[in-house]
Amino acid sequence: MKVVRLVKKAKKGSKEALLQLIMDQRDDYYRLALTYMGNENDAMDAMEEMIVSLYMNIHQLKKEAAFYSWSKTILVNSCKQMLKKRQNLVLVDEWDSEESAHDPYLQSEQHMEIQEMLTIVNEHQKEAIQLKYFHDLDYETIAEMTKVSVGTAKSRVFQGIKKIRKQYRGEVDG
Amino acid sequence: MDDIEKELLERKKQLDEIKAPDELEGRLKLALDAAPVTKKVMPKWVMTIVALFFLSLVSYNYNGLAYYGKKIIGFDDLMGGTLAELNEEGMGQTIGQQVVLEDGSQLTVDGIMTDANQLILYYTLSKVKDQEDITFAKITGFLTDSNRGAGTSMLNEEQSEIKGELFFDPVSPFAKKLMLEFTKLTEGGAFMSGSISFPYDPNKAMQTEIKQNIKKKVKVDKGKINFKTITATPTVTMIKGTVDVENLDRVQLPFDKVELLANGQSVELLGSGITSSLGGAKFELRFSALPKKLDSLELVVNEFVGYTTVNEQIPLSTTAEQPFKMNGYDLWVKDAVKTDAGVEITIATDEDVLLDDVSVEGQDGIVPLETTLRQNYETTENEKVVKVRTLLFATDALPDTLQIKGMHHMKAVGEKIEIPVK
Repeated sequence: MKVVRLVKKAKKGSKEALLQLIMDQRDDYYRLALTYMGNENDAMDAMEEMIVSLYMNIHQLKKEAAFYSWSKTILVNSCKQMLKKRQNLVLVDEWDSEESAHDPYLQSEQHMEIQEMLTIVNEHQKEAIQLKYFHDLDYETIAEMTKVSVGTAKSRVFQGIKKIRKQYRGEVDG
Repeated sequence: MDDIEKELLERKKQLDEIKAPDELEGRLKLALDAAPVTKKVMPKWVMTIVALFFLSLVSYNYNGLAYYGKKIIGFDDLMGGTLAELNEEGMGQTIGQQVVLEDGSQLTVDGIMTDANQLILYYTLSKVKDQEDITFAKITGFLTDSNRGAGTSMLNEEQSEIKGELFFDPVSPFAKKLMLEFTKLTEGGAFMSGSISFPYDPNKAMQTEIKQNIKKKVKVDKGKINFKTITATPTVTMIKGTVDVENLDRVQLPFDKVELLANGQSVELLGSGITSSLGGAKFELRFSALPKKLDSLELVVNEFVGYTTVNEQIPLSTTAEQPFKMNGYDLWVKDAVKTDAGVEITIATDEDVLLDDVSVEGQDGIVPLETTLRQNYETTENEKVVKVRTLLFATDALPDTLQIKGMHHMKAVGEKIEIPVK
């Protein structure tokens, strides 16, 4: 398996292999970083931090096949640390205005609705829902990233969706 | 699937349209290039060689001797003793080729030194502004595709000029013209790649002094090392071979305690590299140049990476001042705290120690190591370098003991190989 082979090379110190692993899923990483950082430049900064951190710590990764969930967890940590440093917690709400150039669908009704929906739920639920639905991550990984148990991660998604559903249905049907 | 989930999936499709910017790759590459590899000088990495995979663990130490090169001028602070002497003797080739880059900075290839082991290049980047960085990938030319190994550079006080020394794989004796490829970060954060060509005179390459087979195997704790060849040139002494050792990658510099003795005197180990290829791992050790008058040459494997089962239980009440003794090594428990993520325990050991099968025991029972969060090298008061790292355990209660089943570390070997020189 290609990923395992590359991870093994990266573990032995190959920067090329590590870079290739990241570049193979660059859009996924980038979108994930963008969700937290809110703009292109900061998202790339976070990815720089991530890749250095991966390079320094990859020998500690035991399951090669888990590289992507492991590295994405590190990316989320890097993002959060950077945000904490700046004490400037921006989540998706604010990046819309700055990122219009990157989002061809920004102006669509549908999009606005989703953003509105997400304002109903709390910050934790929103983060979990975004990770689950927008970044296609499994609950184990979401739990790792948000430093909670798998059960909590699941419940945040379910409770969040439930809350939105209730409100949304209420409005539409009502 | 209900409406909400449909909406979310629809939104995901839209988000999927967002692509990573093109400059991302360059930025990641630069960040990686700047990542520290070893503790002393920032080394740069040797890159891949076609089908062979990669080279790791490169370390370089420089003497920084005060010789004043009259030939290739202005690199006194960068050139090590041997290279400075060779330069003094006029063994280098001055070049002086310049190119002005898009952003107004100016790159000059001042000179090169070549032999059968390597090409050393001296460059100057002038008129630079803040926050700019330049990296070099390789040198190409006729029958030549030489990847960069180590490199070191200095910024002048005014921060307007960078001078650097780069080591490349050797170039072909048939090349008459070489091309240096570079990538530079501009003020605006964009990347530009380019190249500079310069003439090369293969006749000025320095002669190889010794080139012979060693063909000796040394058995170590977890496998064997096969020393194959030695090639001594005026700039460096290169020893190559293969290595088949199970836990080779468990210490940072497994070849650090391999010594080359010329006339009974230790020759400085400049660096070591390991490439893993289809046929197993290959290594190369770079030692300083050999003395001109050579009577004897010996290769000594003093220590090599090995494994010891310890089965220790370390009480977490052990304080940072009083280290725990384990298999003759010190282990300091510096801190044990509860965080949102679990219990984080910060420990320090000798730099060559990597613990194996680590867990904690407390009221939650035995909890295995989740991951290592941070790792740093620190120098203690008595000048000893220790490796400090923070271990994360997924438990909510502060445990009583830290359990360690085994450790990878440098183990005594004491094998000597005589290399006939006459």
